Amino acid sequence: MSEQVLITLTVNGQERAVAVEPSATLLRVLRDELQLTGTKAGCEAGDCGSCTVIVDGEAVNSCLLLAVEADGAAITTIEGLATGGELHELQKAFVKLGALQCGYCTPGQLMAAKALIDHNPQPSRAEIRQALGGNLCRCGTYPRIIEAIEQRHTFADETLDTKPGPHDERDQKRDHAVVGQSVTRYDGPDKVTGRSLYTADIRLLDMVYGKILGSTVAHGTIKRIDTSAARALPGVLAVITGEDVPDIWYGVSPARYDERILATERVRYVGDEVAAVAAIDEETAEQAVALIEVQYEELPAVFDPESAMAPEAELIHPEDPRFAGNINTRVEWDFGDVEQGFAAADCIREQRFVGNRTYQSPIEPHAAIARWEHHGERLTVWSSSQAPHYKQHMLARVFELPMGNIRMIRPPVGGGFGAKCETTPLELCAVVLARQLGRPVMMKYSRREMVYHFRGRHKQYIDMKIGVKKDGTITAVQSRILLDGGAYTSFGIITVYYAGSMLPTLYKIPNYKYDGYRVYTNLPASGAMRGHGVPQPRWAMESLLDDLAEELGLDPIEIRLRNAMEPNTRTINDLDISSCEFKKTLERARDESGWLEKRGQLPPGKGIGVGCGGFVSGAGYPIYRSDFPHSNALIRVHEDGKAVSLHIATAEIGQGCDTVLPQIAAEELGIPYDWVWLAECDSVLAPTDLGSYASRVTLMGGNAVKMAAAAAKVQILKVAGRQLGCDPHGLTARDGRIFVAEHPELAIGWDEAARLAFSESGPVVGTGCYRPPPGLGGKYKGAAVGTSPAYSFATSVCEVAVDLETGAVKVERFSDFSDAGTVINPVTFHGQVEGGIIMGLGETLLEDTVHDDTGALVNPDLHGYLIPTISDAPEIESHAVESYEPHGPFGAKEIGEGCLPPILGAIANAIYDACGVRVTELPITPEKILRGLATQRQAGSKLSDDRP
Amino acid sequence: MACRNTTYHRPQSIAEACQIAGEYGIRGRFLAGGTELLIDLDSGRDRADQLISLRDVPDLCEIRIEAGELRIGALATLSAIATAPDVVRALPALREAILTMGGQQIRNRATIGGNFCRAVPCADTPPLCIAAGARLEIVGATGARTLPAADFFVGPRQTVLDRSEILTEIRIPVPPAHSGASYQRFSLRHGMAVAVAAVAAVLQLDGDEITSARVVLSAVAPVPLLVGECTDLLVGRKPVPDLFAEAGTIAAAAAQPITDLRGSAEFRRELLAVLTPRALNEAAARAKGEAA
Repeated sequence: MSEQVLITLTVNGQERAVAVEPSATLLRVLRDELQLTGTKAGCEAGDCGSCTVIVDGEAVNSCLLLAVEADGAAITTIEGLATGGELHELQKAFVKLGALQCGYCTPGQLMAAKALIDHNPQPSRAEIRQALGGNLCRCGTYPRIIEAIEQRHTFADETLDTKPGPHDERDQKRDHAVVGQSVTRYDGPDKVTGRSLYTADIRLLDMVYGKILGSTVAHGTIKRIDTSAARALPGVLAVITGEDVPDIWYGVSPARYDERILATERVRYVGDEVAAVAAIDEETAEQAVALIEVQYEELPAVFDPESAMAPEAELIHPEDPRFAGNINTRVEWDFGDVEQGFAAADCIREQRFVGNRTYQSPIEPHAAIARWEHHGERLTVWSSSQAPHYKQHMLARVFELPMGNIRMIRPPVGGGFGAKCETTPLELCAVVLARQLGRPVMMKYSRREMVYHFRGRHKQYIDMKIGVKKDGTITAVQSRILLDGGAYTSFGIITVYYAGSMLPTLYKIPNYKYDGYRVYTNLPASGAMRGHGVPQPRWAMESLLDDLAEELGLDPIEIRLRNAMEPNTRTINDLDISSCEFKKTLERARDESGWLEKRGQLPPGKGIGVGCGGFVSGAGYPIYRSDFPHSNALIRVHEDGKAVSLHIATAEIGQGCDTVLPQIAAEELGIPYDWVWLAECDSVLAPTDLGSYASRVTLMGGNAVKMAAAAAKVQILKVAGRQLGCDPHGLTARDGRIFVAEHPELAIGWDEAARLAFSESGPVVGTGCYRPPPGLGGKYKGAAVGTSPAYSFATSVCEVAVDLETGAVKVERFSDFSDAGTVINPVTFHGQVEGGIIMGLGETLLEDTVHDDTGALVNPDLHGYLIPTISDAPEIESHAVESYEPHGPFGAKEIGEGCLPPILGAIANAIYDACGVRVTELPITPEKILRGLATQRQAGSKLSDDRP
Repeated sequence: MACRNTTYHRPQSIAEACQIAGEYGIRGRFLAGGTELLIDLDSGRDRADQLISLRDVPDLCEIRIEAGELRIGALATLSAIATAPDVVRALPALREAILTMGGQQIRNRATIGGNFCRAVPCADTPPLCIAAGARLEIVGATGARTLPAADFFVGPRQTVLDRSEILTEIRIPVPPAHSGASYQRFSLRHGMAVAVAAVAAVLQLDGDEITSARVVLSAVAPVPLLVGECTDLLVGRKPVPDLFAEAGTIAAAAAQPITDLRGSAEFRRELLAVLTPRALNEAAARAKGEAA
């Protein structure tokens, strides 16, 4: 330790003297010494901007400023933005316009925006982009952030009540009071003020900090681990290795539990977790893991599925004979007769497409805290998790505890996109260390560690073949896909099935053959990422459809219309489509995006393309076999009748379920939205819910909430009926009033009736649960994956400009038409679409985790792994094409994941339209486009050479 | 941060700073904006345990035009330079180059001196300064010296400075009438991404004849690369697109690019063949007083 330095900071107007290590960044001093946790750590390398504060009037990254250097400075943090309990107009505008989702980057965005408007009260859009270019938002709220900065004055005098926001004329409205309204985000005010406590913001008495050591070799056996130097470091409290943790295999799918909490014998990728420490503070823990010495005997490693499947390849999981040839999961599906289908085709296209290993890159790094209670009989775990139930289930299994002895708390989650679904060594090691020490232990991944832990998108090697008749009707589709699974299964079994099962949901495919191989490699394990398994095959198919249309002289939208899925259809692979306005999304895209005027009419370098997609609204079956309903809710009407608590354990990860579910509750109960309190994110307060994955919450959680609300309402209506002297069945509840439907003047206040109900019989409680319809799907192996109560459909039109000299692509515009059933909240709906487009843009053009020939990642950061910035975001027009989904609450289905799969194909097809280059390997980089243009020139000159 | 176990010094004068730096030699680093240094220390790419802060050293932030030179103190932040009226007037291309760098937060802390002294091959301020004929003022424990910016860089992350020396000022001759400058940069993302290749060009015209020309490449060689062959080609000729395209071919051949995450060596050469004429065209348009 070096000598501490006493410095003085004026933080939010208050002078603070604090002794700091010279190496301490302002970020850590603000968070750890001054307890101002509104300033967030996202990358601690100046790449994400989530730690932005204002120092002497200028926005800076507090992670790149030593606190000693700020000595004497005036600092404004997010906690100082609101004055006298009144939110700043920027904060109000952010909440009202939906300029935040997960909220983790929001404090940084707001401070950057504040510094901008202090210097320049009327910034142009270009100036906004310039000033906020250093603030990454993975939820993709950029268009709304720009709008919020521009329109902030509009909100200056508003109180941040929960009344509906600006009405969006594009959205159809049904006769609902709360559903269909852009009510204020439930979590908005806390997220714009820095009051939301994410897991890493929690400070428990006596808490210590843990850190995990990752393997430095991609494949090897552990010969020796020397922890003595780490143990000797002052401040280190415990060091654990594979010997000190339960001797058990765990994972995601019971059929493939192939992970160890800490490696015991073998490491399978660079970063594979080997040992962990706990220390009095984070810095000491970081130092201590670096002092652990591990000796490995290296084994040959494989970094792509084809090499991994070669007969001579070293087995990555020799412990299980099922994984011969490093094949983790094999799928063989054959529906109809593809041979016959191709024989009947007039035109066949076949092509190999190669995807990319993209990482979800939530701005919040994973974090977990474990604390043992009641003398070690019970356990509380806080975790930044999308699916707390599965973690609770897995912790119970690993530590041999009844599930009821584990209390899972899910603080706000700073983005997940699939990265935070499964149990990680963070939770597991924190539990072990907390038990050893009898103190709460917090563990976090650094940006680098989270990328190494990965569980990002599987890179797929896709050989796809499509046959069509002259009129464009599909006769057969055949697809063979190798998925790079990385070192462990994670969600991969489901991924390899999804990669096959979802293709026939969008177009009517009469004959379909799918061969899927999920293959182990010595790379970080791939898992579930937004649109799970679907975006890459969808991109392949959308690309081939355009090629086929070109060959046949058909318009790309026309060929899609001729094959488009229709409502109430059973697909070739036995999936039941109920509501479906896919054709309408295509027609509206054709008629309203400027398609007809622009397609084929644009100058060289400009292009317009279409892509389609969709997703399940929740999986038909859970990850592990269980008879529990998938979603469960409880509604308690408060004593005075002016409030209700909604108890539900879904996971708000930015997608907006904390707003949408209270809307559903309020609608069904007949009360205003702002009467609803949420009691969620804690397994003691709310019954189990499977979590935020497979885009399931609006439909499944919403149904459970609606049922619970109906059950509570019946009790209130009974009392109201008696008071009004009429049959409760003839009563309507709406906006806090209960009245006779035929005679609206015969009414009683909802609260009055509720108060009477409580006074007479005590608590008014309603419960609800939802399970998907029984028997979904076919009888063949793997038929469960892809089943869902409902499916979303979307058509997206993209316009690009390609620089024909450098290959640079600028995505200029997107017009999206999505059928998500009834839209519960237009602002969150459009926010999801915009975010999906921006994330899809990143996946198509920018993103790939790259490894070197030792299996080490070249870009485990946000510096070399580029996600879209505010300047990359195109103009977006999002349109809801509403259907009414009979299985959904008020007709609603999903939007969060289905909005992404169309994007890759739309951009790829627009690029082809702009320059005639079809890049078949993601990401579509400028360099690949230039190669394509060069090949095109050669072919062209060859053509002219050949002319007589 | 891994720069823990560091001692922090806060000298009050240049002389004191040089003296401390001389004392610790290789163990010491001057700390200016810190936006690169702290990351390098954290990642272990650079190692030092004595941080010598320059924040209290006076008079190193000034930006002014004096005696025909645009003088920029080494501790001037990128934001300060980009918004300084003298810079906007005398060398707008420098402002444009700076606005391609980092995000606002980085530009608010990072200094031009730091951008020179960290000497990464893709640095964005040196190429234009070199092309504009800048000279660097350097003060050390044993005295002061001046040298052309073009002679400052030795290799990736290496400069001619000895451990006790501080770069104090960048002096750029105010471009004369009928001259123009441009900085053309290619990166993989629209903002917050380092250059894959970049070209700075400064041209002076006399009527329809190029009287001086300097082309400097960035991110395609161990150091910013002044391409003498381009000067040889251009001077005395008419500023026409064909000539500029030829200069692009020369620049592409002169570069010594590497293949990395951001692109192959071949791609970088192709980019130079495009960026060089673009830079020259814009510089020529500006020299002619055309809006560009």
